[in-house]
Amino acid sequence: MINYIKHKLEICRAVAFVTYKEWSAYRTHSLVSVFVGPVYFIVQYFIWTAVYGGGGAIGGMELSETIRYFGASALIGYLTMDFADWNLQMLVRTGKFLTFSLRPVHHRFFALSQKIGHRILGFYLEFLPCLLIFVLLFKVDMIPCCPLWTALSVLLAFLMNFYVNYCLGMAAFYFVQANGIRVVYQLLGNIFSGMLIPLSFFPEIIQRIMIFLPFQYTNYIPAMVWTGNEAIGAMGLTIPQAVMYQAIAVIFTALLSEVLYRSSIKRFTAVGA
Amino acid sequence: MKYVKIYLACMQTAVSRAAAYRTDFVLGNLITLLSNIIFPLVTVLIYANGAEFPNWTMWEILLIQSVVSMSGAISSMISGGILWVTMDCVREGSFETILLKPLPPLFYIASSSVDTSSVGLFIGSIAMTVISAVHTGICGAEGIALFLLMFLGGISVMVGLDLIMAAISFKWVGNSRIPEIFDSVREFGKYPLEIFPESVRVISSIFIPVAVVGFFPASALLGRFDTLSLISLIPCAGFLLFGVWLYNRMIRIYEGVGG
Repeated sequence: MINYIKHKLEICRAVAFVTYKEWSAYRTHSLVSVFVGPVYFIVQYFIWTAVYGGGGAIGGMELSETIRYFGASALIGYLTMDFADWNLQMLVRTGKFLTFSLRPVHHRFFALSQKIGHRILGFYLEFLPCLLIFVLLFKVDMIPCCPLWTALSVLLAFLMNFYVNYCLGMAAFYFVQANGIRVVYQLLGNIFSGMLIPLSFFPEIIQRIMIFLPFQYTNYIPAMVWTGNEAIGAMGLTIPQAVMYQAIAVIFTALLSEVLYRSSIKRFTAVGA
Repeated sequence: MKYVKIYLACMQTAVSRAAAYRTDFVLGNLITLLSNIIFPLVTVLIYANGAEFPNWTMWEILLIQSVVSMSGAISSMISGGILWVTMDCVREGSFETILLKPLPPLFYIASSSVDTSSVGLFIGSIAMTVISAVHTGICGAEGIALFLLMFLGGISVMVGLDLIMAAISFKWVGNSRIPEIFDSVREFGKYPLEIFPESVRVISSIFIPVAVVGFFPASALLGRFDTLSLISLIPCAGFLLFGVWLYNRMIRIYEGVGG
């Protein structure tokens, strides 16, 4: 068992390293975030400063919490960003997935290792510069209230984003052009992951429904854990409870992705579309 | 006249193409429309929670944002395709196929890449503008005339930005994140200018006049227009002309090797 895990870690390390090197060649792609992230943050800063006006709390959050929330949300986005759905759909549509099905490594594990390498690069080129800009230039306190819970929550968001996207990518085994499904999910994700506005601003019924959907586990929960909010969402979850919900969601999605994979792979014809 | 005929013929082709793939056309338009409805949702939720932008009602903010959507839809139809066609051709090293045509390259790309996927957004944003204007009331014929003037200025800025992005793609080969840089700057035009500090107001009115895209035209309709803002039309025209000049200039650095 130890040897098996050690072997898997070696594969993961090798794939992650190659991906890191490959994407380093396109580092200006990542560096765009150093401009875009702070500009969006400045806009949010002025919007919410104007909206809060005299002070008080809106949607259960005070101005400083909301500003920290948007900072945390942007930074978490850099750590969890994923395009496994696009990648898998491209591989299936072009028939290139065949080369992966012949390898002695599960494609999902390969894709996860790629994502680790890609996001390590994102950590250096997007996360760290933007964190420094938020802290040193905008003077926003971005130190997580509970660093361990935050790290765990961000890790779960990382996995959640990956497994959900991988499940969406498997739609390519069933449809010739599955791009629409991906776009619709992204659309819903933009609204309900809490990237545009914290979910606590939504009506209570929607917040309760969101518990059963994947969106908030990719951004809203980790951002709220980061800001140290003690009553998360309409259900007033504590930080450990919120992370537990997130862990359950990740385990469920990981199992779902395996079930879908076993059913989908039978349809793979390797001829492309 | 020759160019008008060519442009109209290309428009007809774009419509015929859309008609051939009807489901794709309808779905594409629906998705574009829905994805642009998102940002007014933030405004609705802010006001639903009892908060507000000082001195601005929800419908006034929605009017600004629907005007931004309308400008975005029109500029997307006119020049949205230029960036992607240029970027793809430069990355593949196939821009020669455009240079060999017996037409100015920019005109050829603009006319052959008319984007029909923004038709739904255009119709939707007109509906949103009308609904918002019904709730806010509008400021007579003078307001409408000023609105149209500023709206044209806003479209010039958007088209100019598209051309500048396309021009940059000759140098910054294959970077699909170029639009994000300009999209982020456009965010300043989606909200009342008063919420921003003086320096941002000057930048977004004069240097990168994104306030002309939504805020100034909507202010004209609402009777809140400061005539001094008309000065912003000069940089708007400048942006468009600079975009055309820069694009034609940057074609010279095309090397045909891909990237």
